[in-house]
Amino acid sequence: MKRTLTVCPYCGTGCMFYLVSQGGRLVGVEPSSTHPVSRGALCVKGWNAYAFVHHPDRLTTPLIRDHGEFRPATWDEAIATVATALKSVQERHGADSLMFASSAKATNEENYLLMKLARGVFGTNNIDHCARLCHSSTVTGLTEAFGSGAMTNSIACLDDSDLIFVIGSNTTEQHPLIGSRIMNAVRGGARLIVADNRRIRLSRHADLHLRHNNGSDVPLLNAMMQVIIAEGRADRAFMESRTENYPALAATVAQWPPERAAAVTGLTPEEIVAAARLFAGARAAMLVYSMGITQHSHGVDNVRSCANLALLTGNVGRPGAGVNPLRGQNNVQGGCDMGALPEFYSGYQQAADPLVREKFARGWGVSSLPATPGLPLTRAMNAATEGRIKGMFIMGENPLLSDPDQAHALRALESLELLVVQDIFLTETARLAHLVLPAACFAEKEGTFTNTERRVQRVRKAVDPPGEARPDWQILCDLARSAGYKEISYAAPHEIMAEIAALTPLYGGISYDRLEPHGLQWPCTTSDDPGTPILHREHFTRGRGRFIPVEYRPSAELPDEEYPFVLTTGRSYFHWHTGSMTRRTHLLDREERSPFVELNPHDAARMGVREREMTQVTSRRGSILLAARVSDIVPPGVLFIPFHFVEGAANALTNNVLDPESSIPEFKVCAVSIRRVP
Amino acid sequence: MKQLSTHQLITLFASLEGGWDVRLPVRLPDGTRAMGKLSDAPPALLGGPLPSKPTAAFFPQEEQVFMASEGEIRPSPTPERPLLVAGFTARDLECLRFIDRFFATAPRDDLYFRCRETALVAAVTGWCGPAGSFMKMAQGGCDLELVRDQDEWLLLSYTEKGMSVTRGVPHRHDEGRLERLRQLSTTATGADELLLRSAAALLRDDLIPDSFWREIGDRCILCTGCNLVCPTCSCFGIRDWRSAAQTQRSRIWDSCQLEGFMREAGGHNPLGSEALRSRRRIHHKLAADLLRWGEISCFLCGRCDAACPTGIGIVSVMKEMVSRYGKTTTYMTQEGVSTVDRSSRIR
Ligand code: SF4
Ligand code: SF4
Ligand code: SF4
Repeated sequence: MKRTLTVCPYCGTGCMFYLVSQGGRLVGVEPSSTHPVSRGALCVKGWNAYAFVHHPDRLTTPLIRDHGEFRPATWDEAIATVATALKSVQERHGADSLMFASSAKATNEENYLLMKLARGVFGTNNIDHCARLCHSSTVTGLTEAFGSGAMTNSIACLDDSDLIFVIGSNTTEQHPLIGSRIMNAVRGGARLIVADNRRIRLSRHADLHLRHNNGSDVPLLNAMMQVIIAEGRADRAFMESRTENYPALAATVAQWPPERAAAVTGLTPEEIVAAARLFAGARAAMLVYSMGITQHSHGVDNVRSCANLALLTGNVGRPGAGVNPLRGQNNVQGGCDMGALPEFYSGYQQAADPLVREKFARGWGVSSLPATPGLPLTRAMNAATEGRIKGMFIMGENPLLSDPDQAHALRALESLELLVVQDIFLTETARLAHLVLPAACFAEKEGTFTNTERRVQRVRKAVDPPGEARPDWQILCDLARSAGYKEISYAAPHEIMAEIAALTPLYGGISYDRLEPHGLQWPCTTSDDPGTPILHREHFTRGRGRFIPVEYRPSAELPDEEYPFVLTTGRSYFHWHTGSMTRRTHLLDREERSPFVELNPHDAARMGVREREMTQVTSRRGSILLAARVSDIVPPGVLFIPFHFVEGAANALTNNVLDPESSIPEFKVCAVSIRRVP
Repeated sequence: MKQLSTHQLITLFASLEGGWDVRLPVRLPDGTRAMGKLSDAPPALLGGPLPSKPTAAFFPQEEQVFMASEGEIRPSPTPERPLLVAGFTARDLECLRFIDRFFATAPRDDLYFRCRETALVAAVTGWCGPAGSFMKMAQGGCDLELVRDQDEWLLLSYTEKGMSVTRGVPHRHDEGRLERLRQLSTTATGADELLLRSAAALLRDDLIPDSFWREIGDRCILCTGCNLVCPTCSCFGIRDWRSAAQTQRSRIWDSCQLEGFMREAGGHNPLGSEALRSRRRIHHKLAADLLRWGEISCFLCGRCDAACPTGIGIVSVMKEMVSRYGKTTTYMTQEGVSTVDRSSRIR
């Protein structure tokens, strides 16, 4: 019996636990008693994180499509074929006809390598990952306001807060061990405001539950700020010493008295005033948000509003406060940190900056690096349908289920000349590929993940990968060599981290020996830097915190006569994203077996739909069948569908309209109709 | 009586590895304690109950039941060496006794006894608790008891198996010392057992309103931790993995806190709310098992309270129950108390 300390592969909370193995097989999980976040506990996904690893569906050999069918291939053949095919697309259509999709499930080292492969070997900035779909609005919005697009504080700060404002985060379901910490804080006397029109579990513990209309966060936050300023509750001293551009903010929010916002949000003016007073009255107020804020065509504006509220009340740069975007995937923070983004190299070094490019070119031993701006993932999908992207390399992502407007995603993937998918299961996307490369999962390799509080933690190998499957980093190195970049050679992932540290000031002090036992929080710039639990303490990363006033822009598609319901999408507690791991985990699968739509009892009665009856939900883009779950969790007029299920894919319905700045799709609002299937 | 220094004791364990699969409390790299092998991590006999249940040695989180291929069914092989598991507290041993009986009741669970029957179970008690505290002696219920006293371990064998492994250890006379430790063990109990009985009586008499369970249910995030760490929880589910060549059947710990635990095929669920499921978890231990087995099946090992992320392990819930609803009753009758000043009794 062996126990291997590693990081949970599911959410960004970053709990650590021990994988228990016997005779080369995983047989269970034991929580770490001493980890600062999980503290001896786990959520149901963590407790079951070992259970998909030996599933018989795991990919065990490279697959090459031959006359329409997959056939097994050797690694030598597969790597040579992929390298030649990518080169061929590059030569015939130009480097920018290639798109590289990295993975928030893969390690930092692997994200860094794919970024290096895209830029250094294939010469394109077309590198991105699923952060595009979850927190690209945060990266854009918070970088602009504070200079850093990450959670400002630490999870432990929840213990020091006396008011927690959760907006657009179903925390107990999506970041369970943060949700439980919020509940504990409330029992310890902290006040809680929940702004979410679904009656999520946290709302049962809230002092104030604001069920504002989907997409009306900006009016809500603007009006709260209007009240705070009008009642003289703003933190003048903080604003004067630490911020800039206040007059512009004041002018904008002055236009949003609670009465006006009430009309848009569906709240009463009194609720807005109460929220403003609670927030501004707190000694330390902590703002926590997630995809309810970011996944809108005005996602960046939502993020800016959150930042404005915190700046206005002096709630940045101290314990128990801050603007705290909860990053979704286990390593979506790391994916961003590693520069798996079209606009940044690792550590948010601008790809547009010639000095940055020069530095990386020198570090990597290449003559030059591409200057053309890269495409975000969502725009690359659009470009594929238009024939501008010809080849796509996808590592550990399943866009056919995770991207908006499934028919569009399918069109995009089908129009590619070359699709290579590297994954652990034959996902819906992999089924469309020309080549499939079998990867090792989290339990089968070494590396690091960075959790939502910027904590870089060690991932360790507990068992061997199945069959011929190999760690992503090894596959990527082979691919780079085969494509002509002979200089690449790492004995193990810690050598990749050494390179990352050398080229990335944010991670400059990170090395594997320093990550024992529970990691370091970046910025960690030197080998004796203890890490940074709280950002922006003395000054903001950008100098002063900047107020960026925003105006309200309604969601792109609002209900009308034909499509009278608002559809909002998200996840269920038991499943992860497109379900490739959790639907293959016995207990999790048993809990949530099939797609469902949440429907308010009033609507259900009106439509003659009863619990568990089949319904058809239709939008302008598609139509799916799924069972009704009649529940007052959703308000009348709103439907909720989780996006895990291929047989009732929520993203067949969603709207592929993007935030103009962050290119995030509007997953949280589109118009649909629902009817009972007789 | 036999006694050894910690070093000698570890040497003894190491010398037994030829004949036994020896597992004892070890300290993992980040300080977490677990039941492990000497070859994997340094021993950590001090610190009290292990965070994971020691009964997992016989009933692990996942276990293969059989493998079937080409018309042939192969049960899981019996391990080569019997298990020697050290690290049970006195309370853990009561839990072990309870699930031993559960799994022995017809139809007897062969898989459980595959390892259990031949195993040597050793308790670790005495001055070895958290922060140097005293852990009640077991005085039976195991093959071997290791009682820590003044930096030494007293070895008490209760069975032939226990004697066989301590045979080489010389005997020394110090009955007075043992007597003192036994004395301490009888006085080392109290408040929480009383709490347990009070809470059980409140349930028996149906004095806990539904609103209480709704409140507790609201605080449950369905992590399943309370069940998975509980040494007397015995529920499991069956998972079949089929591939072209074979079928692998395994059993996996289940949890009554999950919605799917009691959901019927048609979708109806007799435990369809978190309130009902939270009630069940407590009720099962304190009332239902009392009726079925003649005893409460919580032995206050403390694990569910440590593993629950929201503070509703059984001891916390019992405290809330008794402090809110215990007043009007006469439950703490052990010492003839009728009306109870709760605050003085319940920690
Ligand atoms: S809270 Fe997140 S990181 Fe922790 S166990 Fe659950 S899924 Fe894993
Ligand atoms: S304290 Fe909790 S874990 Fe221990 S026996 Fe009682 S119910 Fe089970
Ligand atoms: S440990 Fe606590 S939160 Fe988890 S299932 Fe049990 S009662 Fe619920």
